[in-house]
Amino acid sequence: MRLLQRLKRGDDSKLSRPRGHSNYAYTTARVHAMKSKLLPKETYPRLLNMQIDEITRFVGELEYKEDVDELARLYEGVDLIEHALNRNLAVTFTKLLNISEGEVNFLIFQYLQNYDIWNIKTILRGKHCNASTEEILEAIVAAGRFTYTFLSELSAKPTPEDVIASLSQSEYYSILKDYDGKSLSEIENRLDMKYYEDLFRAIGEPKSKDRKLYSEFVRTEIDLKNLTTLFRLKKYRLTSPEMMNLMINGGLKLKLKEIEKMMPLSFEEFVAELANTPYWDDISDCCSPNMDSFVDLEAKLKKLRLKSSVSFSHLYPLSIVMIMDYILGKQNEVNNLRMIIRGKAVGLSDEEIKNQLVI
Amino acid sequence: MADVATATVLFDAAGMKAIGAGLAVGLTGLASAIAEKEIGTAAIGAMAENEALFGKGLILTVIPETIVIFGLVVALLIS
Repeated sequence: MRLLQRLKRGDDSKLSRPRGHSNYAYTTARVHAMKSKLLPKETYPRLLNMQIDEITRFVGELEYKEDVDELARLYEGVDLIEHALNRNLAVTFTKLLNISEGEVNFLIFQYLQNYDIWNIKTILRGKHCNASTEEILEAIVAAGRFTYTFLSELSAKPTPEDVIASLSQSEYYSILKDYDGKSLSEIENRLDMKYYEDLFRAIGEPKSKDRKLYSEFVRTEIDLKNLTTLFRLKKYRLTSPEMMNLMINGGLKLKLKEIEKMMPLSFEEFVAELANTPYWDDISDCCSPNMDSFVDLEAKLKKLRLKSSVSFSHLYPLSIVMIMDYILGKQNEVNNLRMIIRGKAVGLSDEEIKNQLVI
Repeated sequence: MADVATATVLFDAAGMKAIGAGLAVGLTGLASAIAEKEIGTAAIGAMAENEALFGKGLILTVIPETIVIFGLVVALLIS
């Protein structure tokens, strides 16, 4: 039967479900314990009252101690924290892959592939703008399949073409080979599309309740990404139907057809139209036809996503959604810490930093 | 007549009781094992992150032992 399924899938054999035992109980219990070590929300106001040195010391005493100690000989100050946060994120997510087996490992791996795409995009963008290797490495998070060593080698390549040539064995090469020096944003969009296509193929036709929730989790993410892109497009008065290729297919509550209808609208009309979507209740208080900044809105959307993933994880604590909730929580903690550190470094007021945080 | 005699030997009341008692202990033992396997691995996972959870993990792991104890009680009642 398995052989038949594999034959039917043909080229997609790489995405076929792994055989063998899935250790959901072990992984979820361990992830629960890891989740209890995430910073509680009361910590952030305290961090806002601290100076950069104090924050560095505070972060160095937390889960990030090993990373800060390891990198202290190479970097200092804000850069040290930035690198330590990225390293910790990579180590944590690699650990998730190491402790999981079978299907749970497969699903985590598929989700974390967005880091591979993120890293490829970062390196290509860096090379495109002639950024230094150091600057590129600052934004690298080696949480996917590519190791930090491989990514540092890629960052050290002189041109984007050399980077692409080094990735000739990867599954992304079919998209990357179309890079002609100008089409970077198009390549980036295609990589994102491929990520979600692969993820949906990995999820397959969800039958069990937890798999349905996982699918909902991914599709909510797509909705919120599409919403953010739409807001930005509208703000810059881009209403061309060609912009539809920036939209990701597979959203939960915002289908492509609805987005297509919204595309020609002006910003004011778009905001009015949003009132008919299910997300309006959550974003209505920070959404108006004459809004200037999207900071509040984006923080609200991220909060909404975290909230939905927490409720999913409570529904099925022994499933993949609980692990996804931890991944989101960890990403959010690292983002918040980075925002506080960077905000303090450039002299932003506490109020401004607080508005950016997703707590 | 020979068949009736064989059947009487095969379905002897004491023998059937013994089989019933064996099944009661054996099946509940298997059920306990399956339950403890999951709880045990989860407890090990939690302990790997936080050693202080050893006591709680141990207690939770042995809770399914009650199933086999019920099986044992039933077996004793049968025999």
